[in-house]
Amino acid sequence: MKKRFLAMALTGVMAVTALTACESTPGGSSSADSSINVCIGSEPDTIDPALNSAVDGATLLVHLYSGLSKWEMNDSGVLEIVPDAAVELPEGVENADGTITYTYTLRDGLKWSDGQDLKASDFVYAWNRAASAELAADYGYMFEVVDGYNEVADVNEDGTPANPDAKLNVQAPDDKTIVVTLYNPVSYWNELLAFPTYFPVREDVVSNEAWATDPSTYVCNGPYKMASWEHNSLITLEKNDSFVDADQITMNTINFYLSDDQNNMLTNFKNGDWQLIDDIPTNEIASVKSEFNDQFVIAGQLGTYYVCWNVNEDILPAGSPYADDENAKAEIRRAVGLLFDRNYIVNDVAQGGELPASSFVSMGLTDADGSQFYKNVGVSSDFDGYYNVSADAYTDNFNEAVEILKKYYTYDETSGKFTDFPVLTYIYNTSEGHKAIGEYLQNAMAGIGITMNLENQEWATFLNTRKDGAYSIARNGWLADYNDPICFLDMWTTDSGNNDVQFGRGDHADDAVYSIDLTPYGFDTKVENGTWAETYDVLISSIKSCTDNDNRYKMMHEAEDMIMSTGCICPLYFYTDMYLLSDKVDGFFSNPLGYKYFMYTTIK
Amino acid sequence: MNSKTVAYIIKRIILAVVTVWVVITVTFFVMHAVPGGPFLGEKAISEAAQKALEAKYGLDKPLFIQYVTYLKDIVTRFDFGPSLKQRGRTVTDVIFDGMKTSAFIGLIAAVIALISGIILGAVAALRRNTLMDRIVMVLTTAFVSMPSFIMGSLLLILFTVKFHIFPANGAASGGLILPIITLSLSPMAYITRLTRSSMLDVLGQDYIRTAKAKGVPYLKIIFGHALKNSLLPVITYFGPMLAYIVTGSLVVEQIFAVPGIGRAFITSITGRDYPMIMGTTIILATLIVIMNLVSDIMYKIVDPRITLE
Repeated sequence: MKKRFLAMALTGVMAVTALTACESTPGGSSSADSSINVCIGSEPDTIDPALNSAVDGATLLVHLYSGLSKWEMNDSGVLEIVPDAAVELPEGVENADGTITYTYTLRDGLKWSDGQDLKASDFVYAWNRAASAELAADYGYMFEVVDGYNEVADVNEDGTPANPDAKLNVQAPDDKTIVVTLYNPVSYWNELLAFPTYFPVREDVVSNEAWATDPSTYVCNGPYKMASWEHNSLITLEKNDSFVDADQITMNTINFYLSDDQNNMLTNFKNGDWQLIDDIPTNEIASVKSEFNDQFVIAGQLGTYYVCWNVNEDILPAGSPYADDENAKAEIRRAVGLLFDRNYIVNDVAQGGELPASSFVSMGLTDADGSQFYKNVGVSSDFDGYYNVSADAYTDNFNEAVEILKKYYTYDETSGKFTDFPVLTYIYNTSEGHKAIGEYLQNAMAGIGITMNLENQEWATFLNTRKDGAYSIARNGWLADYNDPICFLDMWTTDSGNNDVQFGRGDHADDAVYSIDLTPYGFDTKVENGTWAETYDVLISSIKSCTDNDNRYKMMHEAEDMIMSTGCICPLYFYTDMYLLSDKVDGFFSNPLGYKYFMYTTIK
Repeated sequence: MNSKTVAYIIKRIILAVVTVWVVITVTFFVMHAVPGGPFLGEKAISEAAQKALEAKYGLDKPLFIQYVTYLKDIVTRFDFGPSLKQRGRTVTDVIFDGMKTSAFIGLIAAVIALISGIILGAVAALRRNTLMDRIVMVLTTAFVSMPSFIMGSLLLILFTVKFHIFPANGAASGGLILPIITLSLSPMAYITRLTRSSMLDVLGQDYIRTAKAKGVPYLKIIFGHALKNSLLPVITYFGPMLAYIVTGSLVVEQIFAVPGIGRAFITSITGRDYPMIMGTTIILATLIVIMNLVSDIMYKIVDPRITLE
């Protein structure tokens, strides 16, 4: 039986990694009444391209809009970024001050779905809107690379825009030309242009605040128009015949059924009513896998499931001579991270085709030369990442961890257990999957005498607890928005809203145990025994201002080395996107961000 | 209706308004006391965006001011505010949209439950201790005690997976039939049991014996006297039941993918969508209060001996 299964080929075309699931390419003829029924999630919070921050929303948006670039699968089955509304994606021109300017020309014949011409100024308006403090979009920061963003996004103490008249450095000298200037060269810029936040919207359309909630007011410029939206039930997209590439679109109607009940999805898939469902009940994975072997797809995703420690949690026994020694605590946390059998977690607990993780920056993100970033960590030539996650290395890892811990804790040789490890509490948000993993971790630690209690919290409470650092160990996960390791690294600066570990905060603010030397990369920075703020924060801002791509990636490796050395981040597995796709469907593909593309599909 | 009754109704309406106000107040302050906020996500938004959003929705103001503003908007403009999660949509819009479906299937289910429950209950009472009675009692015991997620799943497996009679999603034609049946079974069973026991009770009353002795025709005794008088407990139960059933059931909506309002109760809370939490709570509270009032008035109509005061 043909296995349509994890085409694990890692391809580095255009610095884009394609971990895709399907071998079919666009093509086939369009029949008048072709339609496909899919379910990728429940009612989207929004399908305003500027406000959307969800993957299911993005899937709808890539069918409704056409940005300057787009993801496409080429004839050899490799995903790449190609021009869409733009004639081509030219190289940028570097200015004297280090900024970089791109000039795009729009294709002829671009129209809005209500028949009006699409103008370059629509992009300019849309980008300024999406970045503005006034809109306060989740993904407004996607424009942080564009010159002028810092002024546009700034707010006063009371939340009003600090510079209401500020604009991004984006111009439309005529109806066909867009000129945009970035602070620095950005390797993933073409990919950003394909991101929904960068899609155009028209000012007169979005002036109605409810425009994106009803088909009658929803004006878009992509391959599809919204035909109907029954809230919480069904969104129907119809092919837009005035779309400039309409002749390539093979699927006439896409019905997006809105449900988040996995059992209901599975029933509809089994009945043959729905051709793709994006979620499978965890306890049915094994049986679904065997029943629908050739329709069960696991695609790579840019994300890491991990456990994070609160850096300020006291984990040494009472009266330990190492009580305030951050280096000792780091060594302990790294050792605990080696106690876990990641192969067991992915094969027997999670079961969704996930891959054991040995680094925080996930598989799929590429290095300066297009190779896998996590394979270039350089800790050992025997394995990739920071520790060996092959199944036969587990015993060695475990024994090594025990040896390290013996330095700090009393070990009872007869029982093989530590007797004075403080009791820990692991928090996770309520979910069967997270619970099962928590129970595994609890068992693994109990095996050597460490007691870890489990505590589940309801989602919003959990987020609050973790953000405030009111925990000792917590479940965590991170999905990249674009293929650049910086999305995994800039979240750990002292003031970052995602700094759940509390690096550089509380007692850790004064721990001067970190060193960086950026002189090899052209920076005049060398710090020995500095605090987190003096080292990591400086490193990240240097990465962001670095104009040399090779040096930039080397510094990102240093940044990951730093966070991994603290032991506060304990990666467990790399996420995968698991779904069921009917074998009647041809021409489907998905991208590493999890967006699914139905426009080139045909039904057999 | 005499003046006493009118005074009673007015009193009850005032009481109802006070009840809803208390519900609003308690919900409002408890909701804000729970940790977490509407703009939290796995990925934190920037501090600037957080501040801008709080300013936009007035969440930066002192809690009491927010409370007063909220009450004022409801009373003066009947404005329940915007949804914080589904941007661009108002709470009224979201609730109205979901209520269309929920109220539709809820009302049908309630009517089915009421009619079939009363008939079955009456039959079981009149044929007490026969096979018929036993069957009815066994089935109703099962339906009352079986939670809707089991009943729903059973029906789904039977009629959708095995026999392909009905679709598994509420948007398809015929997709609302199974949800309606699922919703109606438990209240139907309950009404059956209430009617049966109450009917048995009434049938033993002196006035029934008197009627029989006077030679009143059998059917007239049953429908004119016994049944009417045995409906009091059903009325008590039916009012609040109707309020719950028309405001949707998360379980049934999930199982059958019905686009109702039930899920909004849960998602608004998990997402800390404050105006949605308030809106859904107010709707449910108001309906229950109204239904209770209607039940009380129905008592009076059914049983003139009851005085409302």
